[in-house]
Amino acid sequence: MVSTITQQAVSDFLKAGGYIADEAIATAVFLAIRMEKPILIEGPPGVGKTGLAKALSSTLDFPLVRLQCYEGIDEGKALYDWEYGKQLLYTQLLRTQLDNYLSVSADLREAVERLSAEESLFFSENFLVQRPVLRSFLSKKRSLLLIDEIDRADDEFEALLLECLSDFQVSIPEMGVIEAKRKPLVILTSNGTRMISDALRRRCLFLYIGYPELEREVAIVRAKFPDLCEDLARQMVEFLRKTRELNLRKPPSVSETLDWAQVLSILKANQLTSEVVAGTVGVIAKHQTDLQKITELATQELS
Amino acid sequence: MERIVTQFVAALRENGIRVSPGETLDAVQALALSRVEGRKASRALLRLTLVKNVNDIPTFNEVFNRFFSRFQFVDPQADLPALMDAAITEMEGEFTYLNERQDDDHDEPGPLIKLDSEISPEDLAELKSLSEIDPDDTDGTEMQVQMKGYRGKAQKPPRPTRRYTQNPLTIDLSKGNSYADSVTFSPEEQAAMQDVVSRMMLRLRKDMKRMKNNQHRGKLHVIRTIQKNYRNDMVPFQVIMRRKRREKPRLVVLCDVSYSVSHASRFMLLLLHTLHNQLLDVRSFIYNRDLAEITEMLANMPVNDLMETIDTGDIVDLDENSSFGQVFLKFKKDHLENLRGRPAFIILGDARNNYDEANDWVLDEIREKSRYMLWLTPEDRETWSRGDCLMDLYGSYCDKVEVVKTVDDLSLVVEDLLRDIYADQAHPIDRKLLREAKAAQSYDPADYYRRGSSESSAPAFDPEGRKHW
Repeated sequence: MVSTITQQAVSDFLKAGGYIADEAIATAVFLAIRMEKPILIEGPPGVGKTGLAKALSSTLDFPLVRLQCYEGIDEGKALYDWEYGKQLLYTQLLRTQLDNYLSVSADLREAVERLSAEESLFFSENFLVQRPVLRSFLSKKRSLLLIDEIDRADDEFEALLLECLSDFQVSIPEMGVIEAKRKPLVILTSNGTRMISDALRRRCLFLYIGYPELEREVAIVRAKFPDLCEDLARQMVEFLRKTRELNLRKPPSVSETLDWAQVLSILKANQLTSEVVAGTVGVIAKHQTDLQKITELATQELS
Repeated sequence: MERIVTQFVAALRENGIRVSPGETLDAVQALALSRVEGRKASRALLRLTLVKNVNDIPTFNEVFNRFFSRFQFVDPQADLPALMDAAITEMEGEFTYLNERQDDDHDEPGPLIKLDSEISPEDLAELKSLSEIDPDDTDGTEMQVQMKGYRGKAQKPPRPTRRYTQNPLTIDLSKGNSYADSVTFSPEEQAAMQDVVSRMMLRLRKDMKRMKNNQHRGKLHVIRTIQKNYRNDMVPFQVIMRRKRREKPRLVVLCDVSYSVSHASRFMLLLLHTLHNQLLDVRSFIYNRDLAEITEMLANMPVNDLMETIDTGDIVDLDENSSFGQVFLKFKKDHLENLRGRPAFIILGDARNNYDEANDWVLDEIREKSRYMLWLTPEDRETWSRGDCLMDLYGSYCDKVEVVKTVDDLSLVVEDLLRDIYADQAHPIDRKLLREAKAAQSYDPADYYRRGSSESSAPAFDPEGRKHW
């Protein structure tokens, strides 16, 4: 299915998965699948960057492997780690076998040689903890690796990812290079709190998801809450688009739109009035100052 | 298609977007894979593969529209005369441009010279048949050549060096802003400042991180080591060291807010405010004739509100003449005693004392209390001792005097300062490394080129001024 996919198909199956994609998003996903290149998605919080990855994973039936980045994340948390405890435990349990095995040797030198011949036993996949990146590389099915909020990680970590993202391989000093069995579809998201290095950008397709256009946002609301009447959805989205121009501290984004739509559908509202807005403003405003501005706008626009 | 893509990439590069050959290959591959039809789709596709930065997207769109308008498909059945008309209208634009060029630069029209069109080349070589004609009396067989008027007139006398007051500290984005209406910062200005700061942080980060890591160098932290190595059967694979306490570097800033340098001090305040939480412990003062501390206000008020408050003159009276001598005295009286630590001192001002008492001895005391003293002035080196400017006198007390004219200059100066401060507090090994790095850097002439390379200050900034100090 994947090799014969077209752009239109991408947008259709995303729609089936409840994600309304515009042309740029569909093209990006299409190219990422066909060219086996990671996508770097930037945009304000809550416009559906992580949502895209989730929708893709469920519609393409790629298991989702998620790596949440944070300051101080390192290869032990992202790529692989050795299970020291297990290694120690095994050496303890295998002591008698080891004694027997080594007692054959004539002198110490030979014993060391015999032991070092078996060294690879202790640094084998048995004792390797697969962290998200390695897990997605070794997954039998083609998987979707979501590296979330890469801008929170340090730049050392970015450099660490370069090898993985361009060649789909992980170098482990004790074992050598492990290549991906099936190249996963990789999605990186960033909120732009920090500039991502050019080296990483170059390895990715770059997709900027901004706030959606009116029609697409209405479609998103309608897709998620079909019982909400279209007029209300349109009214709601138009109002939110105005609030986004208010220079708020945290402008409401698509996730707030959806929350609000849910609230309105629970309240069974069928028209947007300033009272309704005043009652539910907490869903869309996340700061005290924003709250006031939005209520003022509502009394101006809707009464 | 490859050719078109590479030409397009060349056009992008001309407009300052960095596109690597690898990305070009990606674009070609992507175009081949998707068999796109239509302008919009191919634009989306090229943008995905070639542009890797949000800020470049507008430039990309512009270049795309310009570049591919040339390749627009023309239907052979289309209305050809209309097309011709359009072409001629376009061309006319070019011609009027040429015409306009002729009479600019204060050139007066010179005499008309007749050039016979049936002239033989030999004659032309000797300029035989050139003769002056009456512009109204021509039979059409000769070409007219309008001589340019007296060229010497076009060369304007060199402009007198403008005073800094007319040439306020600007950043690229605020170029159009006049002095009066830029009381508060526009979102673009704030974004630009954030940009300057983040670039600065990026440069500083490597050094800072190393020093932070070395904070761990101390005694063994027994409990945490045991905790950490519990899973390793108490074999201490990972050793945790006690963190050495180190405080943020302290900085005291005195900013002149009188009209002559207010722009500079505003940016200084904003810059320090942005840095405050990340790297520094800043105490900020503003002064004109009076002095007031605004540290608390900077921390608690939105920057724009504070700027407005300062502008109304509620904190310090802005209508008075500034007097550095008075300010220093007041600083000594009220604040010098309760300065903690040995802060670095930054004074921003033009040192124009309005012929008041200099009181330069106070600077000597401040100097004793501080680790480092830096004076930032927007004035050029030549004017430091002219008129009421006491820069040469005050400068002799400072560790360094810097000429800053743009935000970029300012950020570089502050960055240097931070490096110095951190180097002082760093681990001895680091200190050596940093000193070496700094020594190596100062021989790098590119540094000077970069400094003050922001367009607005390029001609005015004089690196020699730094060397003298």
